Amino acid sequence: MISKDSSLVPRGRQAPELESKRMLKAGIIGAGRMGMTHFALLGSHPQVEVAAVTDDSSVVTGSLSRYRPDIKLYGEYRKMLAGEKLDLVLICTPPNLHTEMIEAAVERDVSVFVEKPFTLTAIEARRILERVASKGNGTRLALQVGYVNRFNDVFIKAKALLDRQMIGKVLSFRSEMFGRTVIQKSSGNGWRSKRENGGGCLYDFGSHAIDLAVFFMGRPEKIIGSHLSSLYSTHTDDAVRATLLYPQGLVGGLYVNWSDESCRKPGNKVEILGEEGKIVADNHELKVYMKREKGAYRQGWNTIYITDLFNNVPFYVRGNEFTRQIYHFVDCVLDPGLANQSSFADAALTQEIIDVIFADSPKHGGL
Amino acid sequence: MRAALELDDLILGDNQFFGINHMSQEKARQLAGRFNDMRKIYRAYHTAYDMGIRAVMLNANEKAGLICDYFRDHRSEFKDLALYPSIPYPHKYANLVAEKGILGAIQEVVSGQSAWNLLGMAGKSVSALSGDMTKVMEMLIDVEMRIFRKLDFKVVYLQNIITDLLLGLKFKDIFTAYCQYIEKKYAAVPGFLTMNVPRLAAFLQECGIENATICGNFNKIGYLMSPGPAEYEAYFRRPKYPMTAMSVYASGAIPPAEAIEYVKGQGLKSIVFGASTRDHMAETLKLVRG
Repeated sequence: MISKDSSLVPRGRQAPELESKRMLKAGIIGAGRMGMTHFALLGSHPQVEVAAVTDDSSVVTGSLSRYRPDIKLYGEYRKMLAGEKLDLVLICTPPNLHTEMIEAAVERDVSVFVEKPFTLTAIEARRILERVASKGNGTRLALQVGYVNRFNDVFIKAKALLDRQMIGKVLSFRSEMFGRTVIQKSSGNGWRSKRENGGGCLYDFGSHAIDLAVFFMGRPEKIIGSHLSSLYSTHTDDAVRATLLYPQGLVGGLYVNWSDESCRKPGNKVEILGEEGKIVADNHELKVYMKREKGAYRQGWNTIYITDLFNNVPFYVRGNEFTRQIYHFVDCVLDPGLANQSSFADAALTQEIIDVIFADSPKHGGL
Repeated sequence: MRAALELDDLILGDNQFFGINHMSQEKARQLAGRFNDMRKIYRAYHTAYDMGIRAVMLNANEKAGLICDYFRDHRSEFKDLALYPSIPYPHKYANLVAEKGILGAIQEVVSGQSAWNLLGMAGKSVSALSGDMTKVMEMLIDVEMRIFRKLDFKVVYLQNIITDLLLGLKFKDIFTAYCQYIEKKYAAVPGFLTMNVPRLAAFLQECGIENATICGNFNKIGYLMSPGPAEYEAYFRRPKYPMTAMSVYASGAIPPAEAIEYVKGQGLKSIVFGASTRDHMAETLKLVRG
């Protein structure tokens, strides 16, 4: 019997005794697709009150004023931070706005969950880390970036197997993300179509694939052979290739494309080859190839489905990992001693890799 | 007095035809390949109908329009077939929203629609209606329901991503408006797909909604049953709304006999199931009807 890994089951449900009476006051900046999803998840948490929202879209403000008149609406986030005594804020705006918003929230001692990518550049990411470090109580804040795959049951299990040396010394790996976000020349002028706003395949999909590489393998020594290409977009990239070099000859490949119509929905995949076997993990399924039988894993291929691995969450919208991600953030706000599973520091490393790929790609004829 | 809703005991779902499998993307791709030819999907519906299945759940995705055309064109061969539409097809909106933003996506979908023009909105922007999202919702429902025109349906389900999002947002008036509109305009029972049955049922009661039906995952291993199987079982001891169970086999993780025995044992009388072959249909049919 293959065991589940439940280390990330939201404590909000497991440990209700933890500061059970304390209610947290939350604000949301940017109630678009992700902002609304997180809003719904936060709204289900017994210890969180979503008190205020900053957004300038008339659909959002119109809906909220009509259906949730109890929520205070702001057109400008600084006014919200000044006007409300918030414990936590979710930042779900286009990425080019993240840095100033994060800094303003941290300045006011508000815990921050920010959507990925963390920032546009590694310089900004480092500046944020320095700001946090320079604030005496900065370390008491919960600071998390929305790399949701870290909360997926399959990737959690795959990481646990890797950490347990199940496939021995790692020889090579690849991290992929494919989807059909941009499958034609677009007339759309949304932020996703422009690199200067944080749009494009590297920022959007690539950051997920890089984050998983970092999650599984840590910091690469060097990045070579980067190539960004445009398939449909005019102002940004649609496909990413790069090679990540690690100590002792370990090589990782990055394969990302958001213009692949054959994918019904976006998905990540990680393949890790070791001396004693291989792990292949995607959002739904884990395959483990073993050279020799080990524990519950027999020689040859072992397929483990999400139905073998799942841990239910208190409230479901879009996927267990989305709930687990937000509930983990809330747990970290309630308990400053808890280690964050998708920290600003982790995300800053991903940002460094993104910077290097941007700089490396033109050398090889890429964008 | 409203007649009580009689849910069909067996409703054939559609995930298997459209490359949707929650357990394995490889399996999903295989199925998508097998049903790439629409004629194979139509044949599967004929097989199901000939075996005595009289109900079909259909999500308003890209291919559903063709299936509805087929049902209309072959009405005599599907005489007493009841359709259980679910709206909308969420990925259509997810991609549109990613490309154009929420406002742009709504604009794209409703612009040029007759209801839009009737409102005197031709050529205008959705933002002019921002104070009245109920109106926007009604128009979106009409757009989605167009493919099901002139077919018999008992229930119109709101797709689970939307239901659960609105549930988390606690948009009470949207729930009541949805129910009223489906009853009034489509003379059908409003339905909700959800992954959070106990929470949704409690919320619908809070909203004062009486005439509605819920369709949610219900299986022996508790897969995608939030917050957990114990809460579901407790709810089913005193259910407030007629219920259809989906994902009873948990994407194939539970042996069929065991799966059906569990669902029946909890007092559920209606299931929606996915089967792609005659043998699988026959097996479910035998287990449910005996």
